[in-house]
Amino acid sequence: MAMTTGPKPASRGAGAEGRLQTQEMILNVGPQHPATHGVFRLLATIDGEILINAEPVIGYMHRGYEKLVEQRDYRQITNLVSRMDWLSGINNELPLALAVEQLMEIEVPPRAQYLRVILCEMNRILNHLMFFASFGAELGAITPTFYAFREREDIQRVMEATTGGRMHFGFFRPGGLKEDVPRGFVDEALKGVRQVIERLPDYENLLVGNEIFKQRTIDVGVLDREAAYSYGVTGPIARGSGIDMDVRKDEPYLVYDQFEFDVCSAPNGDCFDRFWVLVREVGESARIVEQAIEGLPPGPIMGKVPRVVQAPAGEVYVRTENPLGELGMYLVSDGDRRPYRLKIRTPSYSNVSALSHVLANTYVSDMIAILGSFFFVLGDIDR
Amino acid sequence: MARPGAITPQEALDRVGETLGPWIEEPKLNFGAVDLVCKPENLVRVMRTLRDSEHLGCVFFTFLSGVDRSELGEGGGGLEVLIHVYSPEHAVHVTVHVPVDPAAPECPSISGIYKGALWHERETHEMFGILFPDHPHLTTLYLPEDFEGHPMLRSFKLPTRVVKAWPGAKDPEEAAAGGR
Repeated sequence: MAMTTGPKPASRGAGAEGRLQTQEMILNVGPQHPATHGVFRLLATIDGEILINAEPVIGYMHRGYEKLVEQRDYRQITNLVSRMDWLSGINNELPLALAVEQLMEIEVPPRAQYLRVILCEMNRILNHLMFFASFGAELGAITPTFYAFREREDIQRVMEATTGGRMHFGFFRPGGLKEDVPRGFVDEALKGVRQVIERLPDYENLLVGNEIFKQRTIDVGVLDREAAYSYGVTGPIARGSGIDMDVRKDEPYLVYDQFEFDVCSAPNGDCFDRFWVLVREVGESARIVEQAIEGLPPGPIMGKVPRVVQAPAGEVYVRTENPLGELGMYLVSDGDRRPYRLKIRTPSYSNVSALSHVLANTYVSDMIAILGSFFFVLGDIDR
Repeated sequence: MARPGAITPQEALDRVGETLGPWIEEPKLNFGAVDLVCKPENLVRVMRTLRDSEHLGCVFFTFLSGVDRSELGEGGGGLEVLIHVYSPEHAVHVTVHVPVDPAAPECPSISGIYKGALWHERETHEMFGILFPDHPHLTTLYLPEDFEGHPMLRSFKLPTRVVKAWPGAKDPEEAAAGGR
């Protein structure tokens, strides 16, 4: 797969002046690579062990959601957007519901708001544990996978019992939820997140305290603050670069302002800090779920929504904190049952666009660690 | 919790008006975000001011895309570039609408100001056919190189919808009540 560039043929051994002759080489990483969570290609120009330049090539899974949504009504779109970032399906459905609710001025009952928070945060735990597992595996440690999937399964089962799906939930509606949670939800959900809280120190010790892990991640792949802003990087990756932006805190939606939780951030912007933020966020999400379950009010789970959901003409930009960063939807409505235009700003897309900036002039051996620490899902990029 | 430097949307609107007055049109508030229209020739100056001015500080690039408003009814407008930036310090959202000529759509690239626009402009170029002349690498991002047409334009119809109209246009319950 490697090919050489430049006019000179490859020479073996010493050149005419006695020095080793080198030339740049282009190396294809992907499209199929286990570190990429989807179909993703990296066109890497390398000089010996140094990556001179790395150009992400995307679009292998482009499904054209922004066009498709113009041909579907709002209820159907829920199921489409659920499939963008397949590790955080229920979080994807949220901004769409919020955008329609804002335009239609629908009031969502408190129970639905609390349940939305609980489900979103449980989904965030699922997502983060997945990346905890995969990042370890990418660096050669297979054990985290077994740890993470053990805890994931308990929460996954609660999500499945509630929504009927394990990945694509289709549970949020403009105005509320598809249905109320099943009996036993509270106990099972609490059990799941308490287990996560209890075992989180093990997780931290397993990787974060590991000397080999530190060697491979500290000071590797540094993303500076200015670049993070300029590329629109968000989520754990931005927070790993010392940016304490979190939509849940900055502009609380749903009922996030009623819970106590910290925005985790770390100052150095290297792979270690990104990962460290990710791991700590699991604990914060679990805290939010605990509080939300404690305060879960009784009542209806749907607001007053007309039988046909037609957003009045207008435009609104809604953003929410997806597990991987800011998910925004700019909805232009002309009063129809379908959106006139729905611009979907996905977190992975903006995050990965900063990859070539970070990868330039790093070692080839660090490439997978950097790729893995950018925590992206290709479905979210190629929506 | 609000940040110490956070300002109200109205204050943000006033500051935008003061700083960018002559180069923008129709500044207004829309769901808490400052919404303004800017001609392509003023765009680079406006975006640079939004980013660099101390009392706006919109350093965070959210997205750049396009909207084809040609089927939006009267007063809808034509093709436009849509940009959203955000100030983490002051909690200010700014949406910039840049109307472009539908016959020969062209808009200056802002990738020199916000690097994130590099990919967003490539996507907008292939999806809407809008040209960003000073973009350093304006190739296709999602689509194959030989793809014909610009899918996100309203005139580009989905092949399925050419064959069969949107089934949802008719309410299934109404259809059932209609005696079929």
